[in-house]
Amino acid sequence: MNIIHRIVNIKAWKHTTKTAAIIVMAAVAFIIIFSAINASQEEMMNNVSDQMKQTIEAEKDSTRKRVTVTYNSFGFIKYLSVSTSGASATKEAYIAFAGQIYPANEGFTRFTGLMVNYTYRMLGSGENILHGVKLTLLLTTLSMVIGAFLSVFLALGKISKNLIISKLCSAYIFFFRGTPLLIQLFVVYFAVPQIFGFAWTGLFQNPEAVYKGAFLAALIAFSLNSAAYCAEIVRAAIQSIDKGQSEAAKALSMTYGQTMRTVIIPQSIRRMIPPLCNEFVMMIKDVSLVFAISLMDITTISKTIMTSENNYLVFLPALIIYLIVTAIFTYIFGKIEKRLSIYE
Amino acid sequence: MNDYEYILKTENLRKSFGSLEVLKSIDLSVKKGEVICIIGPSGAGKSTYLRSLNQLETITSGKIYIKDELFLHREHNRTIHRVASEKQKAMMLEMGMVFQRFNLFPHKTVLENVMIAQILVRKRNKTEARQKAQEIIARVGLSDKLDAYPSKLSGGQQQRVAIARALAMDPEIMLFDEPTSALDPELVGEVLNVMKSLAQQGITMLCVTHEMGFAKEVGDRVVFMADGMILEEGKPKELFEHPQNEKAANFLKSVL
Amino acid sequence: MNKKIFAVLLCIALLLPVMAFAQSAAAIDVSGVALMNDGMLTVGCEIGYPPFEEFADDGVTPVGYDIEFAQALGDKLGLEVSFINTAWDGIFQGIDVNYDCVISAVTITEERKETMLFSDPYINNYQAVVVPADYEGEIASFLDLDGMTIALQKETTSDILISDYKDTKTIDCTISANEKIVTCFTQLTNGEVDAVVCDSTVAIGAVAADPDLYKIVFTDESEPEQFGVAMGLENTALQAAINQAIAELTEEGFFDELTAYWFGAGE
Repeated sequence: MNIIHRIVNIKAWKHTTKTAAIIVMAAVAFIIIFSAINASQEEMMNNVSDQMKQTIEAEKDSTRKRVTVTYNSFGFIKYLSVSTSGASATKEAYIAFAGQIYPANEGFTRFTGLMVNYTYRMLGSGENILHGVKLTLLLTTLSMVIGAFLSVFLALGKISKNLIISKLCSAYIFFFRGTPLLIQLFVVYFAVPQIFGFAWTGLFQNPEAVYKGAFLAALIAFSLNSAAYCAEIVRAAIQSIDKGQSEAAKALSMTYGQTMRTVIIPQSIRRMIPPLCNEFVMMIKDVSLVFAISLMDITTISKTIMTSENNYLVFLPALIIYLIVTAIFTYIFGKIEKRLSIYE
Repeated sequence: MNDYEYILKTENLRKSFGSLEVLKSIDLSVKKGEVICIIGPSGAGKSTYLRSLNQLETITSGKIYIKDELFLHREHNRTIHRVASEKQKAMMLEMGMVFQRFNLFPHKTVLENVMIAQILVRKRNKTEARQKAQEIIARVGLSDKLDAYPSKLSGGQQQRVAIARALAMDPEIMLFDEPTSALDPELVGEVLNVMKSLAQQGITMLCVTHEMGFAKEVGDRVVFMADGMILEEGKPKELFEHPQNEKAANFLKSVL
Repeated sequence: MNKKIFAVLLCIALLLPVMAFAQSAAAIDVSGVALMNDGMLTVGCEIGYPPFEEFADDGVTPVGYDIEFAQALGDKLGLEVSFINTAWDGIFQGIDVNYDCVISAVTITEERKETMLFSDPYINNYQAVVVPADYEGEIASFLDLDGMTIALQKETTSDILISDYKDTKTIDCTISANEKIVTCFTQLTNGEVDAVVCDSTVAIGAVAADPDLYKIVFTDESEPEQFGVAMGLENTALQAAINQAIAELTEEGFFDELTAYWFGAGE
């Protein structure tokens, strides 16, 4: 109820919130208006040269298609390209903006067209959720959540007085930090099924069973890996809490479990946030390794584009997308950290 | 009339950290309701002794009796006898401790600090715990700070909350480890007043302190420790005015 | 009576060649082949090695020499074709895990034959040296590369070849080993290196795309490399089927047309 009250009471909004709200609404209005007046796919196709149109027509019923039509739409700006393949490949590209259709084969329009195309592909638009930015976000977030959860137990285990548990946890952390993530990925994806006689793909229904299987394996590998790194972060945070806290708890006859749960860990969470955020941001880049098991993330897509087009323009949208993703999560972590510091 | 003679007794208590012997045979007997003030130069082992009583440190050798029952007997770092863990827990509950640096839980309000152990350890329900907490916090004079976080309180206020937190567990023995040493001089008084009122209520107190005025006013016995040994003990008036031991005399001269 | 029998026999006689012809146009029998997905040839490739395989603008449709070859194979075998895009780093491990075979500009080598089965070669490839279009020298063999700075793609046969020359001190040269072949050509354009050593097919493609920038100055036809379809060691049934398809395609002139289309100058 409190939240709804706060949303409705516009007068009391902070200045920055108001500004942000205005900007967002303006952007949304812009997108809606410009999408509504924009040219349609058919209209854009009409602009294609007659020669190309004939080729497309001729190919219509054959199985071997030499012409590819690409249509990327962000609503307010659209990109259409018709390209033939082979040694004498040709390409015609157009962009549609504010109701006008412009040829995009050279100069600024070409640049704009390429940016639209590359961004569209990297966002993974038009593909299933295990592609592009969506894949990066999904894999990173889930792996970090699972990994962070596991890491608490690993950390507590490592500092436990029970020698067996302590040694086991130390060994786990040592192994997963000391071996490359790519190899861990291979082991989980290729070796484990062989040993236990199953297939990652076999766990899912087609279509896309391959990708779902690969994602599950990647999730497991990444979670196990991040658990090891986060465990050290958690352990350091726990051990950085003043000894007097646990002494006071002991003097009050609280058990070890109660002390951890109510005194130590709540205080240590705030200290874990910056290094955990760091870990998260690093993992966003590590996701690019999953190309080895057939999943395409932002880096892979941009490398593919770079190879095909022989230019490095693709890195512009790629870098921007990464920066935006990182910025969003840094902001979120920062808010969490602030939330937890109210008592200090 | 009690069914035991001494509420707390230690015999030949020794504590070594590695090869360094910090406590070299401490024999002390405390009667119920006594206020014992332990004084002495730094490094004497006073805090270590206090912490050995409530198991924050594990003794190397010696015996600890609580209410005449042998709680722990160790020799040469090996446990000869220790009371069963259930009993152990019950006996430790009889002791509360107040630390030099307060050690309040900074992520909990004053009220929550005083409630939490009651709920978790004494298994009281929330209402009971809250009531008791409010009562005790009122006794230390901080009723207006129930929902404040420790970081917003002065040192003296924090220490009073710490005392309330320990008292809420209804211990029979209160251990004070230099409770005013970390306080600005003007804040010392409010804490000492609380401690004095406690003494007057008949709670057994062992205080490691440098506040001689407090010792004189409220202490039943003063114990002088140096180099890990009790060198002299006696009534405050006698010990302060006519110290028998040379080291004690020198110490008092420099302090009083 | 006789007339009727004669008519029937005549019909059969006439039909036989028709049936025979129909027979040869039918798909190759793959009932004995174990496939990952029924009715489908699943192919693994790294879709990022033009002109053999790359993505069209839509980021989804693979196009390239290998792609069209795979589709032709599918036609011959009566199977649909699907591609699983996988990094070169893990591509062979995925055989019989995610896909039936790998068609991805895979060079047939003795070493690789120990862990996988190859079809007959479907393209010949040589090592070629590419230089800037205005290069005036002459290169008659790899020995003439002495003293030059050479760009090549890591872990390819070009890499092995030139590194070998360098390690045995046959020639003295500086090697710039890149992850991507396109980087090599960029270095050549920028003048950072003197020459690029790569597959002749890639070289032809690069020169065809930018004839003002590059030219091929030498092709080592003494040791052709061949690309083949890689599959699991036990998959002899698939190998036989594919080889038959390749034979038929060669007879039909499929590869000539494909090479001309993709490499401009044919081989």
